[in-house]
Amino acid sequence: MPFELRPHTADVAVAATGDDLGGTFAAAADGLAAATCDDIPDVGDRFSLTVRAEGREALLFDYLDRLIYERDVRGVLPAGNAATVSEVDGEWLIEATARGVPFSTIEARDVKAVTYSEMRIGRVDDGWEAYVVLDV
Amino acid sequence: MTTREFDGIRLERVREFVWEIPREGEMGVPARVLASEALLEQIGDDKTLQQLKNATHLPGMTGHAICMPDGHQGYGFPVGGVGATDAENGCISPGAVGYDINCGVRMMKTNLTYDDVRGHEEELVEALFANVPSGLGGGGVVDGDIDTVEAVLSRGVDWALEAGWAVPDDLEHCEDEGRRPDADPSAVSQKAKDRGKNQLGSLGSGNHFLEVQRVTDVYRDDVAASYGLEADQVVVLIHCGSRGLGHQTCTDYLRKIEKRHDDVLAALPDKELAAAPAGSELAEEYYGAMCACINFAWVNRQLIMHRTRQVFERVFDRSWEEMGMDLLYDVAHNIAKRETHTVGVDPQGRPVGGGVAADREERELYVHRKGATRAFPAGHPEVPAAYRDVGQPIIIPGSMGAGSYVLRGGDDSMDLTFGSTAHGAGRLMSRTQAKQEFWGETVQDELRDQQHVYVKAQSGATVAEEAPGVYKDVDEVVRVSDALGIGDRVARTYPVCNIKG
Repeated sequence: MPFELRPHTADVAVAATGDDLGGTFAAAADGLAAATCDDIPDVGDRFSLTVRAEGREALLFDYLDRLIYERDVRGVLPAGNAATVSEVDGEWLIEATARGVPFSTIEARDVKAVTYSEMRIGRVDDGWEAYVVLDV
Repeated sequence: MTTREFDGIRLERVREFVWEIPREGEMGVPARVLASEALLEQIGDDKTLQQLKNATHLPGMTGHAICMPDGHQGYGFPVGGVGATDAENGCISPGAVGYDINCGVRMMKTNLTYDDVRGHEEELVEALFANVPSGLGGGGVVDGDIDTVEAVLSRGVDWALEAGWAVPDDLEHCEDEGRRPDADPSAVSQKAKDRGKNQLGSLGSGNHFLEVQRVTDVYRDDVAASYGLEADQVVVLIHCGSRGLGHQTCTDYLRKIEKRHDDVLAALPDKELAAAPAGSELAEEYYGAMCACINFAWVNRQLIMHRTRQVFERVFDRSWEEMGMDLLYDVAHNIAKRETHTVGVDPQGRPVGGGVAADREERELYVHRKGATRAFPAGHPEVPAAYRDVGQPIIIPGSMGAGSYVLRGGDDSMDLTFGSTAHGAGRLMSRTQAKQEFWGETVQDELRDQQHVYVKAQSGATVAEEAPGVYKDVDEVVRVSDALGIGDRVARTYPVCNIKG
């Protein structure tokens, strides 16, 4: 599993890894889903989304925020995330898909928001890692 | 001088329960922690003190950055933090308010006694759980549309009154009569409104709950009488906030401010402290949006209270009026407000902190209270007329296996804490650790069998994460508040039944 939920006094932190930035961000998104629900069934239709931001950290922040928004307005938990990240002329872009797991099939808690607190994105020997704290 | 050190951060004991981190480096003002030795040990155990030091860097900070007795690590600004910035030359910071704008508590009284409720606990907890929307995707009491959301954002509990979800007495016993006059619904994004329209009248999840309680102790008879509280009385506590609408609003403005005021951000030690300079376009927009979210949260709690009245009517076969189900008060825990305080100023008239003031003047401030409660004393003009003679009610929830408290604003709160006190027991343990140490069903069974507390939640994991052992000792938190004179103990309550999202 390319993510791990880490202890935090009030909230939940996600440490994610991947071969590339897209995989790492998608793993962080899977961590967001895991922080929301302990057991996620393999159901739901996939949907796609695109997010642009001015930097890598901002892109991760906006991507996870967008998933939280989609969760509330679609009434589904975005799971099974996949993503590619690219940079063109200083603008960062993520093109992603997620499987929308209907709320009726899960017992879930509300993750309120993504935060910048202690956020880290960096290269490691065999790819990338990211750390993000979620407000729950 | 007694000193303590945690991870290289040194605190000096100013007097009993008051610890100071002296100003050093880029700190704009000193910081203070209000805690007993036992609570200080817990506060020093995570990153709370570093976050408090970071908070002193906010432009225009006045007096001290202050950590309440229940303080703990959050993100950016600590939970249990109070920071006052100059409203003319300072800043306003969404991160110092928190994502759940006007997350707060309201207490509704009844004229039922514990004996009236005993034997009905299971029926009551099941009926409340079935009728009060909670959890993720649980909907709301009202099926809202954008027009409804706009009206709620603009008019707060006035909207609820006109729509038949409130009575005039509810407004008279709510801060600001349930309506922030500075609310600007146009400053709230469509994204936020989209998230809010299906959540109007919903508990949410995490640490939010609805709890039926009984009054076990009364400490100040005269104030309790003014509040309409007496021993053995049953009351209802509702803890929730502005739901996805408020969370999105904080997120939106954090990002807007980060982009437009990157020069301010560059001087701050944590991106989550991003702040808009006072008087800037974004400061005004955020303040208007935040006030609109405050209105939304008040209506959210109002709708849940209305639904609770209906549930009690069915369970006890009496009208809610016959059961005296009146609002005692509603307090916000995550808020920033323009307030006038007497502060120390330097020879140029700029607010300063830490004993370097040349004079004292009345100044308008943005008082950020993140996980802290306003605690205005008797006589303050902003205390509702119903309580002006005795002081503003303060409601401090404990965990579902411990007591909660009703306090009143203390006489020393204006000098010590910009009129603030604690907001709860404060978390002690992470959710991951809680799930390793507690099993939800076991916690539920023990609460019912040993303490006669009936709990129903969306999942066992939620119960484990909110187990009584996860929180600090609320009795100790309140003891410090009372001893410092920032929030005086009036009454203690104990859970009867609790529903959680």
